[in-house]
Amino acid sequence: MTDRRFLLLCAGEVLVVAVGNLAAALILQVIVLGAYLGDRRGYWAFIPAAALFAAVIAVFGTVLLPLLGLAAALGCGYALLTLYDYRLTTWAGGEA
Amino acid sequence: MIRPTRTSSGIAALALALAVTALLITNPAAAFAAGSLALFLLWRGWRFEQDLASAAASLTVDREVDRTILRQGTAATVRVRADCAVPPGMEVRVRDLPPAVAAGDAPPSPPGKTATYTIRLMAPGETSFGGVVLEAADAFFAASLLCRRFGGPEIRVFPAGAAGDGRGRGAGSGDTEVERRAALAGQGILGFRPYQTGDDPGLIDWKVTARRDALYVRQPTGLEGGAPLIAVDLPPRAGDDPAAFARFSMAVSGAVEGAINSRDGCSLLVIAGPEIVRFLPRTMEIREALAALGGLAPIEPRAPLYRSPGPAVLAARARVPRRGAGEEETAYLARLSGALSAFAAESPAPFAAAVRAAFGRAEVQEVRIYSLLPPGDKSHLVQLAREAKVRGMRVVLRAPAGSPALPGVDTVEAI
Repeated sequence: MTDRRFLLLCAGEVLVVAVGNLAAALILQVIVLGAYLGDRRGYWAFIPAAALFAAVIAVFGTVLLPLLGLAAALGCGYALLTLYDYRLTTWAGGEA
Repeated sequence: MIRPTRTSSGIAALALALAVTALLITNPAAAFAAGSLALFLLWRGWRFEQDLASAAASLTVDREVDRTILRQGTAATVRVRADCAVPPGMEVRVRDLPPAVAAGDAPPSPPGKTATYTIRLMAPGETSFGGVVLEAADAFFAASLLCRRFGGPEIRVFPAGAAGDGRGRGAGSGDTEVERRAALAGQGILGFRPYQTGDDPGLIDWKVTARRDALYVRQPTGLEGGAPLIAVDLPPRAGDDPAAFARFSMAVSGAVEGAINSRDGCSLLVIAGPEIVRFLPRTMEIREALAALGGLAPIEPRAPLYRSPGPAVLAARARVPRRGAGEEETAYLARLSGALSAFAAESPAPFAAAVRAAFGRAEVQEVRIYSLLPPGDKSHLVQLAREAKVRGMRVVLRAPAGSPALPGVDTVEAI
C-alpha cells in the first residue's frame, strides 16, 4: 500500500513539473501532498512555506539561487530540529 | 535522534532527482517541486518531534516486582504497564529497561497493556530500573526516547551464599538468616516480598515490615529432601496462554535455585518429548544451572513415541504368572510371557536408554518432573517415571492444578 501511494506521489510530481506555471504547480503540489497524507494536522504550516519558496523562484527567475537558498534554510531547520531533539532527549533522560 | 523511514528516504531521493532535473533543464516548476518536497520533509520532522514530546510528557509507568528483597541470581517477575496519549498517525510501543545488573530483556508493549517478564539480578546491592524506552514511529520518521524518570521500585539484592537479614541501612538488630545446616532440615528463607492478599499472615516478617513501612512476607525455601534430579518437560508449543509457560519457567528456576541453595546441588534434565535437550549432572553452580535453563522455549519434538510404553513397562508386563487354571492357559501364559520378554529385550528404546544413563550419572534418589502436561502423547513421561521406579527413585510430578496423574508417579503437586 505504501509503495503504491509513493508511486502515486511520483506521478503527482511529474504532473507538477509538467504544468510549467508556478502558481498552478503550487496548487497542484498542495493537493498532491495533502492527498498523500493520512493525517493533515498542521498541514497549514507547510503551505505558506511552499508558497514563499514559489514566490522566491518567481522573483529570481532562475533555479540555482533559490535552490541554494533553500538548501541553506533547510540546513538551519535541520540544526534547529536537532537542537530540539537534543533538549527532548536530555529532558526525558532526567538530565535537564 | 529521529530516523527516516523508507517513505521519507524515498521522498528525499525524489526531491534530489527533481533538483537535478531542474538544474539540467532550468525548469522552475521542477525546482519548486524539489524544494517543496524538502520543505515537506522538514515540516514532517518538526511535527514528529512535537508528537513525540507530547507522548513523552503524558507517559506514566506502573511497575510491579513480585520480590524487592532477594538473593543474587534469583528470578523476579516484573509487571509493567505504560500509558500515554498516542497522537493520531503515530505508533507507540514502550519497552521496560531492567536494572543494569539484571539478566533478561523486557518485550516492547503498546500503551495500556501490561508486559510481564522475568529478570535475574546478578550483582548484590541496591539497584533500580533504568526507566523505559518510548519507541515511536509514524509514516515518515521513527525514534527511540529513553525516559529515565521511571526507575522504581528499588530492589535489594543479597550476595549469593551470604546470609540475608532483611536489615535496612543503620539497623542495629534483627533476625539473621544463617547458612548452617541442621540435622533435621527445616525451612530456610529464600527472600522477602511485599504482602499480597491471601498470603499467610504468619509469614509476615514484622521487622522488615517495620523498617520498610510496608507489609513484607518471608519466602521459605520449603521442606525438601535429598539432591533431586529436576526433569523439565518442554511443551511442544506455547499455546494460548504464554503466561502459563512463564509461570512454568519460573517454577523450574525456583526449584533449581532452591535445590542448589539449600541442599547438595541438583541434576537437571531438559526433555522435549522423547528428545533430551540438555543434561547437567550433579551441579552446585547456580550460574551453570541457570545457564542450562536459559533460553528455554517450547519445542516441537521431531520423533514422537506414539504411546510406546518403553522397555520398563514391557518388562513388567512380561512378568505374567506362568501358571494358569488349566494346561492350555499355562501354555498360553508361557507363550505370552516369552513374546513380551522378547519384545522387551529387542525393543529399541533410545529415549529410555538415554534416561537410564542420565539417572546413572546423576545418582539421585528423587526425580521431580516439571510439565505443563499438554494434550497429546505423554508416553515419554511414562517412560521417564517407569525408569525412575526401576531404580527405586521417588517420582514427584509438578504440573498445573487439576492435571491427571501419570503411571509411576508417587506425588502430584500443583505448580
